[in-house]
Amino acid sequence: MSGQVDDAILVEAAQEGDTDAFEALVRRHRNAVYRVALRMLGSPADAQDVTQETFTRAWRALRSFRRESSVNTWLYRIVTRRCLDVIAARTPAAEDLATLELRARESGPAESVERGERLRAVTVAISRLPGDQRAALVLREFEGLSYQQLAGVLGITVPAVKGRIHRARLAVLEQMEAWE
Amino acid sequence: MTTEERLPCGTRLEALLAQVAEGEPAADPAHQASCPYCQAALRRLERHWADVQALAREPVTVPEGLTARIMARVHALAEQVSDSVILGARRGETRVEHRAIRRYVQRLAAGAPGVAFASAQLQPPDTARPHRVDVALRLVIVFGPPAARVANGVREILARRIPRFTGAELGQVDITVADVAER
Repeated sequence: MSGQVDDAILVEAAQEGDTDAFEALVRRHRNAVYRVALRMLGSPADAQDVTQETFTRAWRALRSFRRESSVNTWLYRIVTRRCLDVIAARTPAAEDLATLELRARESGPAESVERGERLRAVTVAISRLPGDQRAALVLREFEGLSYQQLAGVLGITVPAVKGRIHRARLAVLEQMEAWE
Repeated sequence: MTTEERLPCGTRLEALLAQVAEGEPAADPAHQASCPYCQAALRRLERHWADVQALAREPVTVPEGLTARIMARVHALAEQVSDSVILGARRGETRVEHRAIRRYVQRLAAGAPGVAFASAQLQPPDTARPHRVDVALRLVIVFGPPAARVANGVREILARRIPRFTGAELGQVDITVADVAER
């Protein structure tokens, strides 16, 4: 039903309390929200919690959504902030545990061993980045956001975005070299 | 590896990384083509960056039941502000929440010929007529049939079925055609 319907129409309906319209928005954007949460947090359990909270917060904040940005930019903003809160609240031991959880879950029997190990090494490298760099890298490399969009989501300038991404890339590549 | 790192030939690593990750052109293609330091560094960066790109291509599946859990919380929040219509009955009163009636209205309207999407709102209840509902609908209609015919078709369906399904009396049905979708 909602495949051809603009986000703007669904948002307008949801702002009036239409939960079906909101569900259509959830179905349309859940993959991106969950993906960002998973790549930022490393833990599927935490990613589920954050995805749930992101949409609950979005529902509560719908009336104040002015449609100056797109729905996905707005949701990226909410999920990123929530992930940064979770990262900030984590102890180093919890961070390590989250990484281990992802390592265990991503290894499938049919997966080529080397390929699997390389992907896990990237995952671990990302999980060791500071939260702000992690957010910038995930949104850029995994979600394909432009620098301009990233500046809007992260609330910083485009040059600052570029700096963060560059530092994040270098740190990841450095860890990949050390891993090899 | 640091931002300021330079290769023995003087090339900044930052420029090579931008070339690999952003697909930017080489600053000095002639130098790069003949420089062993640049070529070795590029090979190294490309190999590691390919792993990052491979992870980005890995499909991520949303866990089963997550949408249902999200919507359960949303429905719980939405219920906190719920009006209802009151139907007379011989042994007690029957209340039908606006949420339930709105869902009937929305489903019926969305299933009407020529409608691609429907969103329904019920006007706040009139205390003088607690069994009556007034409806505001926003429709996205499919390209083709005249908007007035689609809207009238929706009104007819609602007038026939809402009283039967919910017991409520259907009052005003205001319809806005918000958009036209391709078939």
